[in-house]
Amino acid sequence: MNSRFLPGAVFAGALILAAWPALSPAPKTGFDVEAFGRLPILEGGRVKPLDTFARNSLLMIRSKQSVRVQGRSLPATRWLLDVALKPEASDEYRSFVIDDPEVLGVLGLDQRQGRYFSYAQLLAKRNEVGGQAQASQTVAATARTRFQRAVIDLDQRLSLYERIQNAFTPAGRGDPAAELAAFQAKLSEAMEVVQGGQRPKNAAALMGEIDAGLRRYATLAEASAFKILPPRSGEGEAAWAGLAESVVRPGAAAEPHPGAMLVARMASSYRSGDAAAFGAALAEQNAWLSANAPALARGARVEAVFNRAQPFFSGIVLYVLALLLIFASWAARRPDVASCARACAWAAFTVHTAGLLARTALQGRPPVTNLYSSAVFVGWGSALLGLIAERVHRRGFAAAGASTVGFATLLIAHHLSSSGDTMEMMRAVLDSNFWLATHVITVTVGYSGTYLAGLLAIVWIARRQVLRAPDPADDKALSSLTYGVIAFGLFFSFLGTVLGGIWADQSWGRFWGWDPKENGALLIVLWNALILHMRWAGFVRDRGIMLMAVFGNVITSASWFGVNMLGIGLHSYGFMDSAFWWLLAFSVSQLLIIILGALPPRFWDERDKRA
Amino acid sequence: MELTVFCIVALMILVVACTLAQVQLGVHLAVEKYIRSFFVWWNPGQGAVSIPIFPGGGAVGGLLLANLGMAQFRRLELSWRKAGLWIVHFGLALLFIGEFATAFFQVESHLTIEEGQTVDFTEDFRRMELAVIDVSDPSSEEVRSIPDSMLRSRAEIAHASLPFVLRVRGFIDNAELSMRSAGSPPSGATAGVGVDVVARQVAPASGEDRDVPAALIEPVAADARSYGVFLVSPALGAPQGFTHAGRSWRLALRPRRYPLPFTLTLKDFRHDVYPGTDIPKNFSSQVRLRDPRSGDDRDVLIYMNSPLRHDGLTFYQSSFGKNDTLSVLQVVRNPSWTLPYISCILVTIGLLWHFVLMLRRTLGAAA
Repeated sequence: MNSRFLPGAVFAGALILAAWPALSPAPKTGFDVEAFGRLPILEGGRVKPLDTFARNSLLMIRSKQSVRVQGRSLPATRWLLDVALKPEASDEYRSFVIDDPEVLGVLGLDQRQGRYFSYAQLLAKRNEVGGQAQASQTVAATARTRFQRAVIDLDQRLSLYERIQNAFTPAGRGDPAAELAAFQAKLSEAMEVVQGGQRPKNAAALMGEIDAGLRRYATLAEASAFKILPPRSGEGEAAWAGLAESVVRPGAAAEPHPGAMLVARMASSYRSGDAAAFGAALAEQNAWLSANAPALARGARVEAVFNRAQPFFSGIVLYVLALLLIFASWAARRPDVASCARACAWAAFTVHTAGLLARTALQGRPPVTNLYSSAVFVGWGSALLGLIAERVHRRGFAAAGASTVGFATLLIAHHLSSSGDTMEMMRAVLDSNFWLATHVITVTVGYSGTYLAGLLAIVWIARRQVLRAPDPADDKALSSLTYGVIAFGLFFSFLGTVLGGIWADQSWGRFWGWDPKENGALLIVLWNALILHMRWAGFVRDRGIMLMAVFGNVITSASWFGVNMLGIGLHSYGFMDSAFWWLLAFSVSQLLIIILGALPPRFWDERDKRA
Repeated sequence: MELTVFCIVALMILVVACTLAQVQLGVHLAVEKYIRSFFVWWNPGQGAVSIPIFPGGGAVGGLLLANLGMAQFRRLELSWRKAGLWIVHFGLALLFIGEFATAFFQVESHLTIEEGQTVDFTEDFRRMELAVIDVSDPSSEEVRSIPDSMLRSRAEIAHASLPFVLRVRGFIDNAELSMRSAGSPPSGATAGVGVDVVARQVAPASGEDRDVPAALIEPVAADARSYGVFLVSPALGAPQGFTHAGRSWRLALRPRRYPLPFTLTLKDFRHDVYPGTDIPKNFSSQVRLRDPRSGDDRDVLIYMNSPLRHDGLTFYQSSFGKNDTLSVLQVVRNPSWTLPYISCILVTIGLLWHFVLMLRRTLGAAA
């Protein structure tokens, strides 16, 4: 077979594999839930497709993007519709993941029943959970125990679930369309009365009914999860409304939102199981949208496609595939397999890049805005750097490093995404595209460089101590690569740190405040500078540099995630505390690698001789 | 070179210690202890003896700076090949000098202003003053300011501008005030609002909280006549005072005030949120700046990431209150604020220069 053809085929095949979920059409039987998921809504200050909200809610409540019900997997939008409109069935779905044994104790449940529980199982103790959460809220965030954090978390997830239940109609029950029609009929009757000037006998009863209806809708408006009716032409962003909210808006009696009845009809027909009526109302709503809010509708459609494509998930798969191919090429010593591995790594990187660009375009922001996107970007930077290095020294190490970092960071990002909308709005002080594009990007590129150096060092140690493949040319190539990447990391982490200082000078009034995150960045700079000085002074040679580069992984991780776990400081937008044990495990693994690397090579020879 | 390595390692240890200590001590104290000091002191037990156990940030920084200068001239030859490193080290030296200058010269204070209000002073919440104010003439108050350090160290304060002496009957670094209940012991104050208030010493504030001091002050006239003991504290809002020789005087322990040679008037404060949420989108203060010396009389918009720089001071949007009608600006005087900018540019150019040279050499060798 042609040696140029095979890598090309691998590259193309991998891309098709990645694009498959976005291209394959959904089955069009029954309710067109997919199309419903593409409707734009306003939630968390951002316009997004309903599908995004459904996925994020389910991720928060269940840590997964789908629910298993009676042996089949229910996609997020379907789950959301069931929760909002078929509570009789959906309250039995095992929607909640609860791992904390003490919280389970409060609920009277235990772990033998599994990790997943239904709303019906939690309902009896709902008030107890609310009370415990309220009591825990009074404790300072840094002083909370594991139980207190878990119970607050459960309470928040329960109220999110309840706000979804109230999205269209109270607790998902009743017939929203009929109720809305009856209420609007009452309203127009009253309007006629006012305009006609006559005073019928039942005026007081009529006003009483309207008042009761208004109050009911006002309560519902407060309790529902998202706003599904976009502003009409000439209205501002503040005019976004939920179904109930649009009814109680001033002026709604004279001029009701045309979408309100359509949404109510969709809700009622979903509840009664009438797929044809659902589709008809949805088509009308889409027609209204493309006439009145085409940009919103288009944005939501694009994001829904992005959600379905899940480029970062495909990226994980392809990076792993590339890594396996590289190992295979090393084991078999076949250059054609190595070419395929490189092609696969490039395909993974292309998918990764496409996902990153799509996110950037959807959000209209530089690529790093929160912890989640920093993980995506650090991986992207490392992968790019590694693949470029691979072109210089075509020996597979750099490609292996690139694939590993790409895989690991996307996996981390995947786990970080369960905390909510990953394209959340930026808090006031961060609302500066200029600084996001300069400081944040350079700092994360600095992380990328330091990680890649650490990874190359691990490859070096593994080759020398485990595989014992003494090839001076390879070793020399690897150490010059590592050295170059450390220098690269130093440059970007220094530049990023100082740019951060300048941003701080612009917004907080001091260049440097010894804030934990700033200190973390400084540590990376100092460590990289230390490695280079140690080498220039002749204190360390190749092996010393490699061992220090591995420790750079620990320092970078501590600075990236660890300082957030302290729970203090001004950079409080990236807080997290759940991953502490993972960080610790990672640090220990790196220390073990350092010890392994520090063992004299002869240690292994002698053990072999004895064996 | 050994010294450089030692300094970098020491600095890393200090930074780690400072970061971890912030959980307990708060940023301010942790930085004072580890960074803005020449030695880190360790106090074994409760004794009065403290032992320096580690060089502090000041010592390490100074050593690094000196070493940088020495190494520069002794080891690095002046050549194009090393020009990058020269620039880098020069930029780093500037950065260190800038941080030293900041430590010594930077003054931080706050300016609290309500909509419509005009303010011509800033307040320093970390330092207190006992303000003795002559309020006889309502159009112009005359203020004598006594720093809190004097209240701590002296029993009696006399000054030529004061027609009476002030006896310090007590000073509490961090006080908790509460209303006196019927059976409780007397508060120590015999005049003013403090008679019904008890001040109790509590542990020093930790984290970002600040100490709230309190003092018992007794003004005594030249003929040894006492006007009573007043309890003063920033936590007491009500004005209190006495009349001496036909003039009315007021006493207040308050954040130290620095006068401004110009005025700021808050015209509008805005607190924007993202629609349908309470996530803040922007905070901004529209102020009128009037400076008779420079002839300035103009509107300025201060918002996140966009401070006002005027007369060597920088005003930042910092906080807000009173239902979004009150704005708090942080005010910083830092004469050395430009140094990091210059240093950043220098180091970046230097590093780029050096690494590009290195890369060319490596690629040349590989080819």
